[in-house]
Amino acid sequence: MERFTVKAIQNMLSDKQINAAELFDLYSSRITDYDQSFNAFITSDVEPNVEYITDDKNQESLSDAALTGIPYAAKDIFCTQGIRTTCGSKMLENFIPPYDATVIKNLKQQGAVLLGKTNMDEFAMGSSNETSYFGSVHNPWDRERTPGGSSGGSAAAVAAGLAPIALGTDTGGSIRQPAAFTGITGLKPTYGRCSRYGMVAFASSLDQAGILALSAEDTAIFLESMAGFDPLDSTSVEESVPQYSQYLEENIKGKIIGLPKEFFDGSLASPYEALVAESIDSYKKLGIVFKEISLPNIGYSVPTYYVVAPAECSSNLARYDGVRFGYHSKNIEDLDEFYRTNRQIGFGEEVKRRIITGTYVLSAGYYDAYYLKAQKVRQLINQDFERAFESVDIILGPTTQTSAFKLGEKVDDPVSMYMNDIYTISSNLAGLPAISHPIGFVQGLPYGLQLIAPHFKEHDLLNLTHQYQKVTDWHQMMPKLSMSSESNN
Amino acid sequence: MHWETVIGLEIHVQLACDSKIFSSASTVYGKEQNTQASLIDLGYPGVLPVLNKEAVMMAIKFGLAVEAEIADLSIFARKNYFYPDLPKGYQISQYELPIVSHGQLAITLDDGTDKIIGITRAHLEEDAGKSIHDKFSDTTAIDLNRAGTPLLEIVSEPELSSAKEAILYMQKIHQLVRYLKISDGNMQEGSFRCDANVSLKPKENTRLGTRAEIKNINSFRFVESAINFEVDRQKEILEQGGSVVQETRLYDSDAKETRSMRTKEEANDYRYFPDPDLLPVKIDKGIIEKITASLPELFDKKVDRYVSTLSIKRVDAIEIAKNIELAEYFEDALNTYNGNPQLLANWMLTEVMAILNKDKIEIANLSITAQSLSQLIQRIDDGTISSTIAKNIFSQLIESKMDVDELIKEQGLEQISDTTEIEQIVITVLKEHQEQKDQYLAGKEQVLGFLIGKVMQKTQGKANPKLVNDLMVKILSNN
Amino acid sequence: MAITKSDIEHLCGLSKLNLDDDEIPIYLQQMTDILEMIEQLQSADTDEIIPMAHPLDMHQRLREDKVIDTNDRDIYQKNSLSAEEGFYKVPKVIE
Repeated sequence: MERFTVKAIQNMLSDKQINAAELFDLYSSRITDYDQSFNAFITSDVEPNVEYITDDKNQESLSDAALTGIPYAAKDIFCTQGIRTTCGSKMLENFIPPYDATVIKNLKQQGAVLLGKTNMDEFAMGSSNETSYFGSVHNPWDRERTPGGSSGGSAAAVAAGLAPIALGTDTGGSIRQPAAFTGITGLKPTYGRCSRYGMVAFASSLDQAGILALSAEDTAIFLESMAGFDPLDSTSVEESVPQYSQYLEENIKGKIIGLPKEFFDGSLASPYEALVAESIDSYKKLGIVFKEISLPNIGYSVPTYYVVAPAECSSNLARYDGVRFGYHSKNIEDLDEFYRTNRQIGFGEEVKRRIITGTYVLSAGYYDAYYLKAQKVRQLINQDFERAFESVDIILGPTTQTSAFKLGEKVDDPVSMYMNDIYTISSNLAGLPAISHPIGFVQGLPYGLQLIAPHFKEHDLLNLTHQYQKVTDWHQMMPKLSMSSESNN
Repeated sequence: MHWETVIGLEIHVQLACDSKIFSSASTVYGKEQNTQASLIDLGYPGVLPVLNKEAVMMAIKFGLAVEAEIADLSIFARKNYFYPDLPKGYQISQYELPIVSHGQLAITLDDGTDKIIGITRAHLEEDAGKSIHDKFSDTTAIDLNRAGTPLLEIVSEPELSSAKEAILYMQKIHQLVRYLKISDGNMQEGSFRCDANVSLKPKENTRLGTRAEIKNINSFRFVESAINFEVDRQKEILEQGGSVVQETRLYDSDAKETRSMRTKEEANDYRYFPDPDLLPVKIDKGIIEKITASLPELFDKKVDRYVSTLSIKRVDAIEIAKNIELAEYFEDALNTYNGNPQLLANWMLTEVMAILNKDKIEIANLSITAQSLSQLIQRIDDGTISSTIAKNIFSQLIESKMDVDELIKEQGLEQISDTTEIEQIVITVLKEHQEQKDQYLAGKEQVLGFLIGKVMQKTQGKANPKLVNDLMVKILSNN
Repeated sequence: MAITKSDIEHLCGLSKLNLDDDEIPIYLQQMTDILEMIEQLQSADTDEIIPMAHPLDMHQRLREDKVIDTNDRDIYQKNSLSAEEGFYKVPKVIE
């Protein structure tokens, strides 16, 4: 089986080697045949959500739309009109949104067609896709391992060739870490670049919609259509959307990449350290200049995040009470009991844990010491980045400490699970765009490198990654798949 | 022990915006349940708030009218608690950095002196939906049409010392928001709601006593009885050596008492934090200047102007200016009027008010235009018709839209001012009413009215009353 | 700041969650670990630092006061298991 990039598909469509309907069927069948091994999808037996697929005449009118015929998968956190949207939770098991998220609408307008909704950690809370009500996702490289989270389903789907590209969300690393664990490219854009309207909120000041793809080129193609100002989102930015694909071939010679000494403190095990060193070499050969920098407060990222994100989520998830939508227990006569039971049954453990943590840090007597303090430390981290970007164009570091860990390994130790995000969280706190791309394998498992850019410099990230991907082939390596009927359970 | 009453009022004013504060759903009152609740008002997964510009402008208008500080940067915060009429499980309100702070308002006490009441703050927030307990037998029905309606919460300093003062303050605010056209102030429809914080303290203490918050006061009448009941209740507790519990109490207008609400509500820790879906609101000087320039003339200035420029009696000026719509109608009429403004004012306060009260309508729905009224009074002033005839014409105008001059001409209602003609009629009347003539000449002066009345009757009310009076007196004295 | 069982119960009350009796000790241990990790924040020097509520230095955009009429009540209420005659229903609330 072959994995087709979006770029390749565009060529195939324009060469008329295949048409949109056939392409849709091709991927739908792959999902049917292979997904049982991975559980990457929660909902996949969807009708195409664009008209032209069943109506040939319309294909003409959409021929100048940027993404006509391109199938994609979307993390089940994006509201899709008429198509179940669960957020990986029992609470929304049967929820059918009456509207499309803005990014979904944008993609629809450009002709892209939805293949299905991918599995995810419940309400985006998790780093291993093990908290989903719909079961864990299995890493296509090693089914006993996690694909990462919370966009685990999107990552597994793209890595396994079940979708050419997929949407994810990244609040603390939830696109980049799964991309690194599954050997694909994952981009978290600048906060405010893509609309959050219709993207179920976890931590409002950190969440951002992004892309999991096979290459920087594919990412650029999709980002052009996805991004942009949305009047329905107060935090959406009125910055014009560049034609990202036109920046892929810009000259990168002489660009300066900063290496934060806090990221290179020797705590990475040697095989991973070696891969990072090799990728730095590759970039050097492309003409990049490296410089040591310091982000002195970066060590506070994880505690800061685990105050801010739970605080915001504890409030964002208060609307799930079973009245207007969501899980609803019958025959309860007391209002308090009604709310509590709905939420006890509807929510999983990690969600409850974060709600309790969030409620705690906001509560009377603790607000100053925790929430307010965390927002101040957040400012310190932001200032560190601002200072660093005065002398460098891009910052580089590992995406994760290791490659994918085994399923079940960290479920009982939340703090250990949280430490997974140690390299990725700071860019969410500062709202910076960041990308992860594959740089090799350790014992057969993919490993990724992270690049962080100043606000709205996604084109630099894509440019650099594309140039790296022209001289390496890590991103083209595909896991061996077996049909669901062949795999042992 | 001399107890001093300390009252602070929190008034929630629904702002007269067309759409909700954070969504584009309509705010019209009285529609079928849940037909004006958008996805944003329902707190659906994934939706986000966007702030209504008009709500901000109205808040600023209010702030400027009460000489308050308008925050350069203002923040929305989430007030977190669970209740069925609060779909998101939090209310978007303001906590630190409200849009308006440190204002004041003067109330005029019975003895004519002014007392300044401080306004601590006024902030924007969204209204909740409605719970209806008697619709279904075993459940509470929720209607979220009202959820998201823009509210301005106005908080006074605890500087009111009696129920009377509280009412004066409340009335002043009510009048102000109507003057500014930021709210219709309709208490029956819930556009204007008041909570009172009441406490007592020994006169010589500076520290305030424990307060109780009284909710659900939806008329001026209830304010007085609710506060008075509460003051008596607290006094009794304190005089017996007990202490007042800090709690929320509901006013029961049937039993005329306040009752404690379920204290579970008190256990709420609202965990305020800045709403991350909204950004700080920046108000620049340009906006403030623009709004300042557009502020209407307020009540006190209007009254002073009526008195000094139009020479209207102060007590009448106050009556007209009390209601901004009445004042606007009056000023509209004045535009086409050359006569004595007091005369116009008299008509506003007698004939016009009488119709409004009798038909229970607002002046906006009066079928006589300001121009028509002005024309009518002008004709009295220039002697074309008598005031008696004018009243006749007035009632006709209520029924049908006609031009005043045409009506006068058609019905031949012009005043009779011909001295000779009137003299004749006077003489005739005196001949016909010898008895009354003799009574008058004998010193019973009241009988003059009867005789004048007879002349008016003979002329179908058209004789110039003053002339009749003068001529009658002259002729009688010549006898 | 050591967290206790009654703290957890209080927090559950505020956030309308139920924990079974056998769950509470587990949550208590996990919360203790999490709070210990968060405690690291206290060593950061944040004197004179303004809290950062948003990654970007932006101000709130204001929306024109226009009504966009969409009465889709019946579509929306399809997602509710407790709607009747256009109302949402909850267990009786006593005020």
